[in-house]
Amino acid sequence: MAGLKSWTQERLGWDELAHLVQKKEVPIHRWTIFYYLGGMALFLFTVQVATGILLLLYYRPSSAEAFESVQYMMADVPFGWLIRSIHSWGANLFVGVVFLHMISVFFLKAYRPPREATWITGAVLLFLAMGFGFSGYLLPWNTLAYFATKVGTDVPAQIPGIGHLLSRILRGGSDVTGATLSRFYGIHVAILPAITTVFLGVHLVLVQRHGMSVPPGIERQGKPRTMRFVPDFLLRDMVGWLVAVALLAALAAFLPWELGVKADPFAPAPAGIRPEWYFLWMFQGLKYLPAKIAGIPGETLGVFFLGGLALVLAILPLLDRKRSRLWNAAAVVVLIGAALLTVLSLLPRKSMP
Amino acid sequence: MDAGVASGLLHLAATDSAVPSRLLSPDAASKRPSAPGGCGGAGPSAASPLLPDALWHRLRRVSLHPTPRRSQRHITPFFLGLLALAAAAWAAPQAPSPAGKPAQPAAIGCVDCHLALDDARITPPAKLFADDIHARAGFTCAFCHGGDASAQDQEVAHDKKKGFIGKPAPRDIPALCGKCHSDAATMKQFNPSLRVDQVSEYRTSGHGKMLAKGDTRVAQCASCHGAHGIQHVKDSRSPVSPRRVAETCNGCHGNASLMADYKLPADVYAKWKKSVHYQVRVEKGDLSAPTCNSCHGNHGAAPPEVGSVANVCGTCHTVFADKFRLSPHWEPFKEMNLPGCVTCHENHEIVRPTEAFLAEGDQGKCSSCHEASSAGGKAAAAMHTDLVALSGEIRAARVKVERAAEAGMEVSRIQFELSKADDALTTARTDIHRFQAAAVHATASGGLAVAREASKAADKALAERDYRRKGLFVSLAVILAAIVALTLKIRDLKTGQPPPPVN
Repeated sequence: MAGLKSWTQERLGWDELAHLVQKKEVPIHRWTIFYYLGGMALFLFTVQVATGILLLLYYRPSSAEAFESVQYMMADVPFGWLIRSIHSWGANLFVGVVFLHMISVFFLKAYRPPREATWITGAVLLFLAMGFGFSGYLLPWNTLAYFATKVGTDVPAQIPGIGHLLSRILRGGSDVTGATLSRFYGIHVAILPAITTVFLGVHLVLVQRHGMSVPPGIERQGKPRTMRFVPDFLLRDMVGWLVAVALLAALAAFLPWELGVKADPFAPAPAGIRPEWYFLWMFQGLKYLPAKIAGIPGETLGVFFLGGLALVLAILPLLDRKRSRLWNAAAVVVLIGAALLTVLSLLPRKSMP
Repeated sequence: MDAGVASGLLHLAATDSAVPSRLLSPDAASKRPSAPGGCGGAGPSAASPLLPDALWHRLRRVSLHPTPRRSQRHITPFFLGLLALAAAAWAAPQAPSPAGKPAQPAAIGCVDCHLALDDARITPPAKLFADDIHARAGFTCAFCHGGDASAQDQEVAHDKKKGFIGKPAPRDIPALCGKCHSDAATMKQFNPSLRVDQVSEYRTSGHGKMLAKGDTRVAQCASCHGAHGIQHVKDSRSPVSPRRVAETCNGCHGNASLMADYKLPADVYAKWKKSVHYQVRVEKGDLSAPTCNSCHGNHGAAPPEVGSVANVCGTCHTVFADKFRLSPHWEPFKEMNLPGCVTCHENHEIVRPTEAFLAEGDQGKCSSCHEASSAGGKAAAAMHTDLVALSGEIRAARVKVERAAEAGMEVSRIQFELSKADDALTTARTDIHRFQAAAVHATASGGLAVAREASKAADKALAERDYRRKGLFVSLAVILAAIVALTLKIRDLKTGQPPPPVN
């Protein structure tokens, strides 16, 4: 045993890693609870990877077979229903936790120097998470997903000049077809995971490099107490993960993710088409825009606004150098606006006269 | 004038006559009105004075200038002028007329006089005609009423020597309408797909026969279609449009005192409103379900003869009719002069049939002729038993499948299988019309086996749901135990104290 330890030590350098882990500390203060969100997001991402790999064993990415293969998983594959439901529910929890993580990091001002790159990689990971959600939504090839993807892939077409080309590239043609499904499958299981691996790796290395940020208000009161990452923080993290597993299992057993009806490209669009909840505010906002604003198509302006918002979010640490309170106010306005638009899009629609 | 009028004008200029010369009285055709307006002048579309003007010229050309050489001399510059006007109208911005009403022509004509007189008898028709399908096609008052439409003097306009007939007598109306509507050559210029045998059909109808005998209270063309505000039958404003035709028929057929004179019931509409046909047509909005004219015909309206009832019902219920013709009832019903389908299903108050039709009791139909102990009574009872068993099994299976679906179980394949049992039930119900219990039994048995399989599959799905929930509770217990263990461990840790020194 000692020989094996020394053999691996020589080749892998475990002791240095163990030393790093033992050295890692987490500050204790009234906002410590928000430190758990990063670990929770990472745990849920791991669940997504694991369940996603299992789904890959049965899923067939073609318009002729996708729906039937998911149906087969739900009805015949042992625990297929559990894996698929956990993957679907887990995706929503994951995006929700990532949002909360980012909001908490923003208000705790954890993006202050020297953690700008951590924030930027985190913002990219948020966009990647949304990309996972958007591409995965179509994969069961059911009616709601099909028409929601039609609407979603129309959005880039609003960009002047290259918009239509972008939309065509995204769809693999002029309309949402089996080619789009193959493309989204490739994006969902290969392209996005590859990019995510890089950004997640950098993000985690940077978190280890800089350690946990202490909020400015706490910092002013002096250096806070700390706890060891291992085992103190990790065990607490694990309690949260177990709660997440219990929640996912309960959702899968009592509210299995619905499969719906197979997509029929020739059928009229059904009522109540809507994207995943985290896109609803954009979807609703674009609907409210007038056809023309100062001679420019409203939707084009809307797409530019959203693109601008994403850019501002990504490079926020570079813009908020003086830690102005205006950024907090702007963030509150955006969050309230997005929440309001989400609620409005969920309200029952008035029937047409 | 709008762009549509301008393009219509160009179309008129480019094509040959739309209204044949034989429809014009010589007087109407020979006189150019002094100014646009009225029947022979501005014509039907007061909002587009150029359209009837062009029409007038074209009609005039057809009737007065038979030789192309002579007409060309006048027409070429005229049409060039029209084209210029059309182009100007296309390009000019549209100016709304006062109060949003169509611009009225200034000149005197039938419509101008009749509107100006403000008489309750003669003004409303002039108002209604502005939006009449015939007016839109370019026809004017004089086409039906005769007279000199261009005259400004009433005596001249209403001169009987000029063909004025005033208000046509009801008895003459079918022939008057038939003047165009029975003429294929005329009708194909306006609506090539429209039939031209309406008047012939009408003469075979109860209405037509009685009108021919001089009874003017019966329905003729104008009674149903209206006289001056006539719309296409598919236009919802038409009294005979699909959604309104039953109410229109009921206008007379619901009049008890009028129907009493003809010894006809006045409750047919009320009965139809209780029927499954009404439910489907009006409440569900499926216009393929029958209304009055679907079974009685429209222009040849008459009750189906006793022998033809099965044929009439069979136009929609084909399978039922085919099986009924093969049944042992077919010949005896004919011999007994029984009206086929109506014998069991009624004529207007056709309610949704149930299995109870086959059983003894108030709703029983078979039992009204067959004793329970007779061969017919036994066959009815056997068919009743089969159908009740099948429909009961399907209902029970469906309840289970829905429960499983509500629990989020994947049951689409079970639902598909169950739909086969539904098909078997439908087929068995059609088989009843052959009145052969063995055929019904064979079909129902097949359906019963499918429904039982679906029921078992639904039971399995519900058992799976229970298994999942039990599994969840076991898992939750394990997870809870792990959380408790972790919590206990965390309590043992001296969190917040300085970490042990690292070498």
